[in-house]
Amino acid sequence: MRIRKSLSAVLLVLSGLAFSVVAAAQGAAASEAPAAGQGTEYSENGADTCLVCHTEAWPYPIFPIFKTKHANRADKRTPFAGLQCEACHGPGAKHAATASKDAINSFKATSFLSVGQRNQFCLNCHQGSARIGWVGSKHEINNVACTSCHKLHVERDPVLAKATQPEGCYKCHSKVLADFNKPSVHPVRFGIMTCSGCHSTHGSSTPAMLVKPTVNQTCYTCHAEKRGPFLWEHAPVAEDCTLCHVPHGSARAVLLTKTPPLLCQQCHTVAGHPSVAYTSSGLPGRGGGGAAFLLAGGCVNCHSQVHGSNHPSGIKLMR
Amino acid sequence: MKTATQLSLLAMLSTLSAAAAAADGAAGAGRAAPDTSRWQCKLCKFEDGLSGTVEVGGAYVSDSSSKFGEYNGLNKDGGYFIGDFSARFRGQDAGYWNLDAANLGLDARSLSAEGGRQGTYKLWLNYQELPHFISDSVQTPFIGSGGASLTLPAGFPASTTTLMPLPSTLRQVDLETKRKELGVGAAWTPARAWDYGVNFRHQIREGTLGTAGAFFVTASQLVRPVDYVTDQIDASASFTDTRFQAKLAYYGSNFTNNDPSLTWQNPFTAPGFPGADAGQLALPPDNQFHQVTANLGYQLAERTRATADFAVGRGTQNQQFLTPTLNGTLAVPALPRTSLDGRVDTVNANLALNSAVTDRLRLKAAYIYNDRDNQTPQSTYSWVTTDMFVAPSQRTNLPYSFTQDKAQLRADYKAAERTTTSAGYDYDSVKRTFQEVNKANENTFWGKLASRYLDWVDLTLKYAYSDRNYSSYQPVPEITPPENPLLRKYNMADRTRNSGELRASFAATDTISIGLQFDASKDDYSNSTIGLTSAREYNFGGDITWMLSNQTSLHLFANRQEIKSEQSGSQTFSTPDWSGENKDTIHFVGVGVKHVAIKDKLEVGADYTFTRSKGAISVNTAANEPAFPDISTSRNSLKLYANYRLKDNVSLRAGYWYERYDSDDWALDGVTPDTIPNVLTFGQLAPQYRVHVIAMSVRYKF
Repeated sequence: MRIRKSLSAVLLVLSGLAFSVVAAAQGAAASEAPAAGQGTEYSENGADTCLVCHTEAWPYPIFPIFKTKHANRADKRTPFAGLQCEACHGPGAKHAATASKDAINSFKATSFLSVGQRNQFCLNCHQGSARIGWVGSKHEINNVACTSCHKLHVERDPVLAKATQPEGCYKCHSKVLADFNKPSVHPVRFGIMTCSGCHSTHGSSTPAMLVKPTVNQTCYTCHAEKRGPFLWEHAPVAEDCTLCHVPHGSARAVLLTKTPPLLCQQCHTVAGHPSVAYTSSGLPGRGGGGAAFLLAGGCVNCHSQVHGSNHPSGIKLMR
Repeated sequence: MKTATQLSLLAMLSTLSAAAAAADGAAGAGRAAPDTSRWQCKLCKFEDGLSGTVEVGGAYVSDSSSKFGEYNGLNKDGGYFIGDFSARFRGQDAGYWNLDAANLGLDARSLSAEGGRQGTYKLWLNYQELPHFISDSVQTPFIGSGGASLTLPAGFPASTTTLMPLPSTLRQVDLETKRKELGVGAAWTPARAWDYGVNFRHQIREGTLGTAGAFFVTASQLVRPVDYVTDQIDASASFTDTRFQAKLAYYGSNFTNNDPSLTWQNPFTAPGFPGADAGQLALPPDNQFHQVTANLGYQLAERTRATADFAVGRGTQNQQFLTPTLNGTLAVPALPRTSLDGRVDTVNANLALNSAVTDRLRLKAAYIYNDRDNQTPQSTYSWVTTDMFVAPSQRTNLPYSFTQDKAQLRADYKAAERTTTSAGYDYDSVKRTFQEVNKANENTFWGKLASRYLDWVDLTLKYAYSDRNYSSYQPVPEITPPENPLLRKYNMADRTRNSGELRASFAATDTISIGLQFDASKDDYSNSTIGLTSAREYNFGGDITWMLSNQTSLHLFANRQEIKSEQSGSQTFSTPDWSGENKDTIHFVGVGVKHVAIKDKLEVGADYTFTRSKGAISVNTAANEPAFPDISTSRNSLKLYANYRLKDNVSLRAGYWYERYDSDDWALDGVTPDTIPNVLTFGQLAPQYRVHVIAMSVRYKF
């Protein structure tokens, strides 16, 4: 164990040293010219230059942006209170002169700019608050562009609306779409719960980018009755809800990973009824015993307080 | 871990000086501001004033089903009002307001209003209802379902369910809850760098849920009341600068349960236990939680960034204890205290350093600390076994605490123009109190390859190996009777995990894109003789998006998942003499077509989804009993819709929705309230339904 600890520590120290060295080398790296393409000159007339070609008949509709917050000139922070189209798309003189797609930041996947470079245009204004942890987040490291999820030229960004947000997430997280179609689910499929209700999409320290620092703290935002602390705690419940439940969807009732009694018998093995093998002979009409431990709620027919009990006589989670 | 933790912090800090030195030179480069004096934006079509949409109509649902309407409110047959509303106002001076209403005719309705001056302040108010229809097939002889006291009609108690007068006394009760939440909030931006916000949510949840109560060897399923009030508040102050960002926030939660207990009459006779004629369950106690968080981000150099998140919280619970028993014939020693005075302190921290070291190499190091320190006082309690007799031995409560230390390192290297290789190491250590394992460490090594070597193929391949080991596994003396000494609880047991993932997306042609994904994981609990011994899971899915023409698009989706596990038990409290297997297989298929039948006039579409799940369970003993029948469900859902634009601002919408659901569940099938002699059950049915929905509405745009 000690060796493992020391190894971990040494690895960490080495990583720190590596960071030091590379950060020092960074001055040189940072001074490299940006990828070829976009010029440095801005257009002559700002948006009026752009909109000569990009009219309302343009195949990709851009005019709805004038209905959005970005086009509110009275708010001095917005693009249209500043460099207009070029606030986000970058200097456009070269593009206006050549009509070359490679001379402007199109924000498309085919752009000559890297995802990080494209995102920087957004981060110049949106670096704070929920996006403090964006850099280094799973989405950022895996090259997710802001525009992979967000649409800027529509009146209402679909990913910010409750009913349409999940469709945006399913584009990459298709397994979750299948999960939310299972028989027991959180109500995302019904349009009354969003992915961002639980997940902090712009970065978080938890493995699944949760909105709170731990799984349980996240669950308690809707299931506050399970927070306790209870007089008689059920240890795995206090530790991590996902030890018994799956978050998105399950083939078993109430989002359980398995059903009782086998679910409970993974940990409860004391002599007597918890360690008995409850077979199909206990089903109705089969003539065997054990129906009380098997049918209806199984173990919770008696131990109904599985999330903890505050009853002085609730040690066995039966009161 | 302490030394290692300190070293890791030191390592991160050691980067600061060098990185910061590189910062200034990099950050300085900027462009001169262009001359915008001629940027009139004459062609810009800014839209001020009022705009919005109103949609009204009606829907008809052919059949009642709590499963069909589980969360959408279409649980009863009959007519429903369709009402949606959305309005926007934009003033010349950045003043604005938005008003939105959705599903006004359903139990899942919502309303929201927001207004203010963009960039300066905003105020909002939200209201939402969230129904949850759980079951419409519950039967119970108890009187008073939904209240805090359940009584029985004449004819009870009886020694077995078969001798109870159930045919004449059973009544149907719907299990359902409804949340109603009102939220109000405000945000203020006094200066560009500063944001303040406060959001308050008041939620009530009312209705009924199922529970159960036992008297030693007899039990009853019971309907319990839900009457919760949860108030939550978030308040924050944020500072955003190009180099430094910070957010300081407070989160408070106050939960109140207006029904602290459920009392029920014992429907069973209890010979030999006088006075055991009523029981009381403690319902969730009131609790509070307060947490202060700080999120910090600092740009050390142009491509090196440090972030730190801290959260310190305290949860308390001090609900007055219920009496140890309702049985007046029992002499129970006094409780050591009248309420728990429960307290849990939480600390969560995350320190991370990211650097895009060169154009090719990127490094990340992170340290994460999570602590749940249960400060609840321990006391020794005399207790009563299910209101029947005073237990011979007293018991002491075990306030569980958990401390987690995690360290993560990762490197991403751009090996070629369109190929990135990544590798990482994660260390995860969990300490527990009052449990069999004081400390377990897990080491994970992983590697990943992401490539777009060919223009039309995106490929990602990932593999991870984890090894978890505990320090020692010792029975907890306070837990009596003891667990089988060969048991290894799966959340602490030695475990090796292998997992892999393959994703590919193909832009087959300009109009066809195909996505494929496969992921699998395998857990081995090699030192677990009793308990969970192995688990495997795989998921295979694919999707096709095909633009058949400018007017028609097609989307196909299919997924298959298999989740399998094995466990062992011992009926003789020794070595394994039985095994259990669980295997869930879930299929999901979806097809969607959208077609513009008449350009700018008529759009039609269809969506079909099919989901089938199968839960296979077998418990294998020397008696060779057959496996359980599968727990199965299937759902077929077809939606057809059409939008016809009558005028520029008026459109007609029509939709038809058919859904069919079938399920089998051996825990419910054939189980009537008197099937089990010593358990009075709900006699609940596994849900089945066939529901047709027709909807028509008019949408007006202004």
